[in-house]
Amino acid sequence: MALTRTTHDVLSVEWIKLELIRTAYATRGGLVARMDPRVVLGWYALLALAPWFTHNLTTLGALFVLAAVFVVLARVGPLVLGLFVIGLISEMVYLAVAALFFDGDLDTVLALTEVTLKLGVVSLASLAAFVSLDPEKLSDALLALRMPATAAFAVSYGYRMMPILVEEFSTVLESARLREPAPSRGGVLGWRHLVHWATLVVRAFYPIFLNTAKSVRTTVEALEARGFTAATIDPRARAIRLASLRVTGLDLAVVAATLAAVVGCHLIGAQWPLHRG
Amino acid sequence: MSAPIIAAEALSFRYPGAPTDTLRNVDLRIERGDFVAVVGGNGSGKTTLCKTFNGLVPHYWSGEFAGRVTVDGQDTFTSSVAELSQTVGYVYQDFQNQLVRPTVRDEVSFGPVNFGRPDHAERTAEALEMVGIEHLAEKFVWQLSGGQSHLVALASVLALRPEVIVVDEPVAELDPAAAEEVYRRLTALNRDHGLTVITIEHHAEFIAAHARSVLLMSDGSPVWHLPTDQALARADELSRHGIPAPQIVDAAARLGLPQVPQSVADAAAMLSEHRRAPYPDPATTTATTATAPRDRPATGERSVVVAEGIRHAHRGVRGELRPVLDDLDLQLHAGDRVALIGGNGAGKTTLMKLLAGIAVPRAGEILLEGISTRSRSARRLADQACYLDQRPERMFLKDSVRADVALFPRGRGVDDAEQLVDRILRRVRLEQLSDRDGRTLSGGQQRRATLGIGLAMRPSLLLLDEPTASLDVASRDDVITMLDELSDDIACSVVATHDMHLVAEWATRVIALEHGRVLADMAPAELFASPEIMRRARLVPPQVVELGLALGMEPPPLSVAELLDACADRTEPTADRTEEAPAWR
Repeated sequence: MALTRTTHDVLSVEWIKLELIRTAYATRGGLVARMDPRVVLGWYALLALAPWFTHNLTTLGALFVLAAVFVVLARVGPLVLGLFVIGLISEMVYLAVAALFFDGDLDTVLALTEVTLKLGVVSLASLAAFVSLDPEKLSDALLALRMPATAAFAVSYGYRMMPILVEEFSTVLESARLREPAPSRGGVLGWRHLVHWATLVVRAFYPIFLNTAKSVRTTVEALEARGFTAATIDPRARAIRLASLRVTGLDLAVVAATLAAVVGCHLIGAQWPLHRG
Repeated sequence: MSAPIIAAEALSFRYPGAPTDTLRNVDLRIERGDFVAVVGGNGSGKTTLCKTFNGLVPHYWSGEFAGRVTVDGQDTFTSSVAELSQTVGYVYQDFQNQLVRPTVRDEVSFGPVNFGRPDHAERTAEALEMVGIEHLAEKFVWQLSGGQSHLVALASVLALRPEVIVVDEPVAELDPAAAEEVYRRLTALNRDHGLTVITIEHHAEFIAAHARSVLLMSDGSPVWHLPTDQALARADELSRHGIPAPQIVDAAARLGLPQVPQSVADAAAMLSEHRRAPYPDPATTTATTATAPRDRPATGERSVVVAEGIRHAHRGVRGELRPVLDDLDLQLHAGDRVALIGGNGAGKTTLMKLLAGIAVPRAGEILLEGISTRSRSARRLADQACYLDQRPERMFLKDSVRADVALFPRGRGVDDAEQLVDRILRRVRLEQLSDRDGRTLSGGQQRRATLGIGLAMRPSLLLLDEPTASLDVASRDDVITMLDELSDDIACSVVATHDMHLVAEWATRVIALEHGRVLADMAPAELFASPEIMRRARLVPPQVVELGLALGMEPPPLSVAELLDACADRTEPTADRTEEAPAWR
């Protein structure tokens, strides 16, 4: 078979890296990204809790649609959305197979679908909320909610490290791919290649951890030198951090609209109820 | 005299578990407003000494601490790192790891906000302005180039309005133009704002141009602390401690000139004054340089790489295509030693990865030993070409150097792989260390280990990304020598570099990239004689080349020896030719 290599813009390691950065730093913008982070967390809690107070499939379906609308408004990228869809589909297939296998019937499948729908609503709301919160906003929101300063910082630092780790990972993996021996034949469905690739991915973590461990020492010293510990004691630091947070009319409007929509979903459910059994 | 900003009395320090003291009985005074270059060989205690100034030693590194260090009158033993950091700012050698916030503005305001300063916004703006990076304020730190990151790290410590700034080896990880920029900023801070600046530095050129005084460390204690001109005059002593004299100082000394030149212009004036200048004389100067045996091989040599119409682009975060290479044609021949030069972002790394077949271009064709890189997987092309990453630790996949070198030949079922590995380890002089994890080796040893990995792949094209970056002068010379020796094993080597000494001493052909195109393709001597190309490729020529150009030599000399030869042609060597400069006594 003649091989013709071209440059792939999607589904390549580079693409995954860019998608992670776009997702983490909310570079696509969108409605939720313009909101106050504390309000976003509250809004998220509202939408994530709503499905757990009903067994009405109509209501759940409506809530799912509502959450999906917010995903569109928040401009969630293809990578996380794709992962979500794959997760949801495989979950449903798995449930159907499991139900058949354990002597269940359509009713079992429906019961399990209810849980899947609820989880789906929560997942979509999480996507919309966390894709729109860049690390600074998220850590400020956590700080505002009286989370320990270390936790708030960990969130922000984790995001900061992410592009570096992904970069490091792709380079090490590339080096391994070129130098490690590969199976000469693929086997059925190329399973040997799959196993080989999976082994490389796992092994690539060893150099990365060691390389990162070395550099973290500088980071810890620099944090100390720039008053990170001092800030956890000093209330003035917290006050400065939180001074930039403002709740605007947009925040109130979005929360009000969401509240109305959730009530609307329950009304639709009451109008055309659909319960299992 | 006013009180010194930093004073150490009988300071000794031993790291926990170490058999000997790292700092031994150090007595030291650093005056307010000084610009001190701390020099000394590896392991002489330079970094440890500097870490006592902001209390990291002994508060963060708990070891055996004796003696007394005061910073602006504060005893470091009884105050904390956080308190001391408001007086002493520290910029690390691996400054990338010191950036902890996502955007530049956040990074710079991090310190003032943590210490609860109500004027944090002004301090941030002021610090950004002091190093001239206001335009970067809203950028993410991972979008910055190395030079920009260093300035951000500098601004972030300046935001605490310290009185002292410690900068650990700024040249190590920066290209020459960026390093010069950092030093210009430091000099301005020292001159205009009265800051005391302390740098750890190996490069005599930077010391000569910027420092006011030099502190030589050896074996954990200061040998002397002298004004820069007196210090540089002790060239012999410095070179014993791993600081070779700047080329102009070396040349002046070897020509027997009485004074120590501070700059190229200085040296040119002195040479002219003492009637030592090699006057431009095509007959003699051309003979010594241009027809050197390191000229490009004649066309008709076997081609290792033929690249035609290469276009490539990367995707940006916002989905835009950012062109890197633009319609580039290139032929590399067997026997070529190519230096690939150009500023950051000129496309050097991308081009090398394309040539190695790790990626394929968006348009155009690359033939590697006659094989189109599109027709084979990167893994199979690894038999023809090998790319060595700029960061050696990324090449270490196994837990010993030997295993890493053996990985490729064993996996490909090479006959007598074990003998091959033994031979290569001898070749790169790592037999003694072959059971160590590559990450635990020194910078120079790590480079040699990656060279070994590359050799074991037995490629016809070897591509090296910045093989001498962040090495001290001795390790750098070591790597250059090794590259020199390897040329019989490898048909064609390509080195992406900012190191003009490497270009002058090793390359036979220089390809300068700019905006993804070939700006120039010439012999090293021609390159150095083209200031316009040097400037556009963000390069700083070796001093001896500049001196040669200032004296009107065409082509310029590539090494001090070549300059001396040219001078010898002009004047008979006199008795003082071999005598050392007066201050060496």
